[in-house]
Amino acid sequence: MATEPTTTEATTTNPEDPTTHSLSEEACYVALTDLPLDIKSVTDKVRSPEAGAIVIFAGTTRNNFATHPISHLSYTAYHPLALRTLLSIATSLQTAHQLHGIAMVHRLGEVPIGEESIVIAVSAAHRQAAWRAGEDALEACKARVEIWKREVFEGGEGVWRANRDGGRGERVG
Amino acid sequence: MASKPPPGHFNILYFATAGSYTAKNVEALPAPLPLKKLFGTLEERYQGIRASVLDHSLVTINLTYVDVTDDEASEDGDQIVIKEGDEVAIIPPVSSG
Repeated sequence: MATEPTTTEATTTNPEDPTTHSLSEEACYVALTDLPLDIKSVTDKVRSPEAGAIVIFAGTTRNNFATHPISHLSYTAYHPLALRTLLSIATSLQTAHQLHGIAMVHRLGEVPIGEESIVIAVSAAHRQAAWRAGEDALEACKARVEIWKREVFEGGEGVWRANRDGGRGERVG
Repeated sequence: MASKPPPGHFNILYFATAGSYTAKNVEALPAPLPLKKLFGTLEERYQGIRASVLDHSLVTINLTYVDVTDDEASEDGDQIVIKEGDEVAIIPPVSSG
């Protein structure tokens, strides 16, 4: 019943790094990884001699939610669907903002406080398009990509967060 | 991710709050099952899951979002049926970033 995607995407896995799954299509690169994120390597994905600007966003894990001290965060994903949604966001933004490149990489598993959970890099001929595309990419990602964040508080209790309405998910003990 | 379901079954994946509620990430349920009966089937197995989780969640079949309305009035003729071997997922509100 599912219709096949029209893209020529292929999930690739680096044999030296089996936790990283990526999709790419033309100037778009998206990936999920259990490893710490490397801002430079994400940035290098979008470098272009025709670009006059690269905008980089790094989302980092905060140590509290509504004053509750958090010990760490843990992310899970529906891998194949999350990659597909990420690529769909990337390709539509590439067209909309005439980007030379866009790369979105999200970290999964346990992410210590203060480290990057997501890095987005976009390149464009001019800075205005790059700024806008970078913001649009993050907002679309937070709204749509099938990734979930569990906040574990000091003391061990955890909650699943929901980005929608800034709400908190159900307590999971 | 999940191993192939046994004959006559489909896999259902439970993410985030759905996984906490059912205390599992995946299980095999008997197929075929009309989509409109999915939430009722889950409510029988996990009392209260509908109000706590399902009413706020989306559903995919084989990576495609489907509209779960057990609205008997919609007689489109193309009622979706979950088939043997399908991969169904409960998608609670997402929280990436």
